[in-house]
Amino acid sequence: MREQLLVLQEQALVDLAEAQGDALDAWRVKYLGKKGELSLALRSMSKLSAEERPVVGQVANTVRETLEAAYANKFADWEAKQAAIQEEKETLDITIPGRTSGVGAEHPLQKIIRRIEDIFIGFGFTVEEGPEVEWDYYNFEALNLPKDHPARDMQDTFYLSEELLMRTHTSPVQARTLEKRRPEWPIRIIVPGRVYRRDDDDATHSHAFTQVEGLVVGKGVRMSDLKGILLTFAKELFGENQEIRLRPSFFPFTEPSAEMDIRCIYCGGEGCSTCKHTGWIEVLGCGMVHPRVLEMGGYDPEEVTGFAFGMGVERIAMLLYKIEDIRQFYQNDLRLLKQFASLPE
Amino acid sequence: MKITWNWLGEYVDLTGLTPEQVAEDLTSAGIPVEKMASMNSGVDGVVVGLIESVTPHPQADRLRVCKIDTGTTKLQIVTGATNVQAGQKVPVALVGAKLPEKHIELANFRGLSSEGMLCSASELGLDDKFLPKDQAEGIWIFPEDAPLGENVVEYLGLNDMVMELELTPNRSDCLSFRGVAYEVAALYSREVHMPDADASGVATAGDKPLSVRIDTELCTGYSGQVVTHLVLGPSPMWMQMRLLAVGMRPINNLVDITNYVMFEWGQPLHAFDYDAILNQEIVVRQAKDREILRTLDSQDRELTSDVIVISDHKKGLGLAGVMGGENSEVTGSTTTVVIESAMFDPMTTRRTSRRLQLRSEAALRFEKGLDPDAVLPALHRASALMVQYAGGELVGAPVITGKDLISPRVMQQIHVRTARVADVLGYVLAIEELEGFCHQLGLPVVREEAGLRVSIPARRPDLIREEDMIEEFARLAGFDRIPSTNLEGVLSHGGLSKTQKLRRMARDYMRNQGFDEVWTYSFVDGEVHRKLNIADDHELARPMRLLNPLSEDREALRTTMLVPLLDVAKYNASRQWDSLFVFELGTVFLPAAPNGDKGMVAPVEKKVLAGVAYGSVAKEPLYAGRNYDFFDIKGLVEGLFERLGIKDIVNFERMAYPYLHAGRSAEILVGGNPIGKLGQVRKEVAKTFDLAAEVYYFEVEMDALVQMVSSHMYVAELPRHPQVERDLAVVVNRTLSVANLFSTVKAAAGSLLESVSVFDVYTGNHVSDEEKSVALRLVFRAPDRTLTENEVQTAVDQVLSQLNSNYGAVLRK
Repeated sequence: MREQLLVLQEQALVDLAEAQGDALDAWRVKYLGKKGELSLALRSMSKLSAEERPVVGQVANTVRETLEAAYANKFADWEAKQAAIQEEKETLDITIPGRTSGVGAEHPLQKIIRRIEDIFIGFGFTVEEGPEVEWDYYNFEALNLPKDHPARDMQDTFYLSEELLMRTHTSPVQARTLEKRRPEWPIRIIVPGRVYRRDDDDATHSHAFTQVEGLVVGKGVRMSDLKGILLTFAKELFGENQEIRLRPSFFPFTEPSAEMDIRCIYCGGEGCSTCKHTGWIEVLGCGMVHPRVLEMGGYDPEEVTGFAFGMGVERIAMLLYKIEDIRQFYQNDLRLLKQFASLPE
Repeated sequence: MKITWNWLGEYVDLTGLTPEQVAEDLTSAGIPVEKMASMNSGVDGVVVGLIESVTPHPQADRLRVCKIDTGTTKLQIVTGATNVQAGQKVPVALVGAKLPEKHIELANFRGLSSEGMLCSASELGLDDKFLPKDQAEGIWIFPEDAPLGENVVEYLGLNDMVMELELTPNRSDCLSFRGVAYEVAALYSREVHMPDADASGVATAGDKPLSVRIDTELCTGYSGQVVTHLVLGPSPMWMQMRLLAVGMRPINNLVDITNYVMFEWGQPLHAFDYDAILNQEIVVRQAKDREILRTLDSQDRELTSDVIVISDHKKGLGLAGVMGGENSEVTGSTTTVVIESAMFDPMTTRRTSRRLQLRSEAALRFEKGLDPDAVLPALHRASALMVQYAGGELVGAPVITGKDLISPRVMQQIHVRTARVADVLGYVLAIEELEGFCHQLGLPVVREEAGLRVSIPARRPDLIREEDMIEEFARLAGFDRIPSTNLEGVLSHGGLSKTQKLRRMARDYMRNQGFDEVWTYSFVDGEVHRKLNIADDHELARPMRLLNPLSEDREALRTTMLVPLLDVAKYNASRQWDSLFVFELGTVFLPAAPNGDKGMVAPVEKKVLAGVAYGSVAKEPLYAGRNYDFFDIKGLVEGLFERLGIKDIVNFERMAYPYLHAGRSAEILVGGNPIGKLGQVRKEVAKTFDLAAEVYYFEVEMDALVQMVSSHMYVAELPRHPQVERDLAVVVNRTLSVANLFSTVKAAAGSLLESVSVFDVYTGNHVSDEEKSVALRLVFRAPDRTLTENEVQTAVDQVLSQLNSNYGAVLRK
């Protein structure tokens, strides 16, 4: 009987090795089913003697366990193989592009404005705005530029009436903010916005362009603070090793006035065509708020002082992104704009 | 302002300095030197020669053979020029000479050797547009007194550098060599030496053959000198070359002298023909209205009363500070002139020169304001030069009148506190150093209790108050000495306002939906509304217009974002973009109602988020198949409101717009207020922008949303009991809106209804032409228990019965 069981086991394992698919199920029925061979063999155990029965019973159990384990293994293999076949059938060309609604591009000027805003917000500044159609008073007079002042020549102006004009700079928001906040200080604001000059459009001139203005008013504000904040700003925007220099200049609403240059970001100061071989690039005008402007805004220049600065966003974008024609910012050619979907910060 | 190095050296000692160094130092002191160039563009080996004879070339009709004397040798030179004659002095390039674009060698022209070349001005690298035409086209004929054999580089003063200064408006004092000399003197602690004109024979006594009457407050000083026995001719070569170098065309000795002195002193001068002045009396007055004056350029100018005229008793002789009159012009027959050196009101001369478009070097200086201390020295200097270079003889003493010239002037005083200097600049400058800077600037200074008292001569009208002196000190010390410090005092909290955050959020949202951001111009064609099918009397068709536009295309302020965005679509569609999704958050300008007699009112400026889309929704052609439609754009806008947390108070209502499809457009209402619109752009409108595809547009007024958006939210409790869903397909009239179905369902279902949505809209064979089938999904839930079948069925029955009674809706079979 024992031998009989072992022969059965051997035969079953041989059969199992060859079974595939449906045959596998048939094998299970044939050997392990209720009416399978193993069951049949066990049924004849009743003929055995009381001594033999437990011994053979144990063999029979071992045989069952062996066959069941073998079957489970084999079945798992087969299932895995089947799954592999199925997946093989379902295989995709994973090099085909994915489905997307696309990544929209940020306009380069918006990107620069956002960066500048974030830098100054980090310094404790808030963002102010003002109208693009402005009164002569705020655009000129409140900034120490009375009617017929020769410095008005610097800015050819679009007029809507004798007194209404398209603002030529974001500086009127300085005057508006002083008027609104007086007599409170500190004032720490930046003002991004669109401005207009009556220039024919060409590669370097645009009748509309963008400025970011800054104004700080408070007790004991010094020109050295202006330099400090501009240096930090330049490092944030142009790189950790950036240097700046201030040169004397003139704006009617600041005194002393200065231009800020940065080290040429292309040649690092060696001299190239972008920096006209000077090693420096002018990016910003600034100075200490003129006492007249503070007075007109309702502040006592003996009590508070301030500084202001203003920069052209297009100019900075042209430098940073190597855009050579200012008109491209307003042409909205998707071939250019789409590049700004992924350009790094 | 252009200057030359050697000319500047006449007024300030430049020993030990180089033009490069001075240019750099001027630039860092706030007088930027824009350009610097040598006057010699490569001339070597050219001398002054005398033409002894000119004979035709025996073999060539077009060539001439000149015998030349260079003082040391005699040469034969063949030339093609036609303006050469025996006895002329000309520039001769010797064999081996270098010209900017030529190297001279021994040559042979049809059998005759040529030992050099006669040169034109342009061959010497000079701008010939200032020369008379015959000389510009041929050989440059030198004056008779040109020294034979002298190197032309010496003779013409070409060993010199021209510097172009880019002056800021406050530094009009540097519109003269005198002003620049003071600036250079300040930088290197040197002295300024102006020519001492008083010693050059100006009469101080004698009968005055001229009287002057000032009849207007717009002239604050007038001086004149009569000079007679003048011989009109060319000015000396050095003077011509200097004027050329600074951009002034040499004309004759009298005019050149007035210009030379103007550059030297910054004081414009004018010479009248003395014989043209009736009764020898000059009257300075304001013009009569519509008075006609013929100016030097032979044009009749109609004047207004705000123009200053130099006249005699009968007629105008010139426009003060702007241009002389033709009747008093200095001509070849003039022997006696009046040199005028005067001060006119800057704003008046500025207006006159602008209105008549006569922007001369003189007008430029007048309108910036003059230095009264330079008026008389300039007159004396010009008088002396006319004696020296035009054979003139001074008649009587100069006439001097006007308050600026007669009354003694008190110098402006500025008090500078040393502590204030440190407070403004952020570092300490010792009082000794500040005093030193005043000395360098030539400003008289004394110490006083808290600092310095500085006296300001009239040549520096830009120095008015303490801050102006602080700037002078800062720039002389060098801006590099200013340290970098951190702001002190109260901490401030930076950040964006709620409105600004909302705009950023909207931009980010649009980009995340795949829309590209554009920036368009604010100016549009004032008649562009016609392209949008907008009637002339519509609000959008009455934009604010510029008084002085640059072109018709950009003459008005946009009233809608649709125009610029359709232009963007047009631009890109013509560059093969089959699909496009762009947005802009820009400003539109809506005219405000006029405000009675207060004149024009500023427009209302609105920030509008707007976008256009056309073409395939999918970006990859592989997945293309569905084009952008109304519901894409509506979904986009709904998503924005969901992002802003106000979706529940948004409604869309059918609305007709002239430029949107009548059946596919809607007004957007938030909390009942209209804040935007969306829809398909009418095909005819799209066509006027060359767009063939279906184009969709939306606009939302951003700033109107701020009040609607709350700054805080609490989460809703999560449901504890299961929901029950019921799907109902109802057949209704085709024109019935889903919104109506929804509101009926919500009203009828009672409090157990959690949500209702639509999952299919069917029209076709299985319903009649007037009908459609709408499939609704109703979700029921109670907060405190699991709903029973009965409860749900009761609610559904109520819904069906209400739909039936309101709209005749029946369940679809």
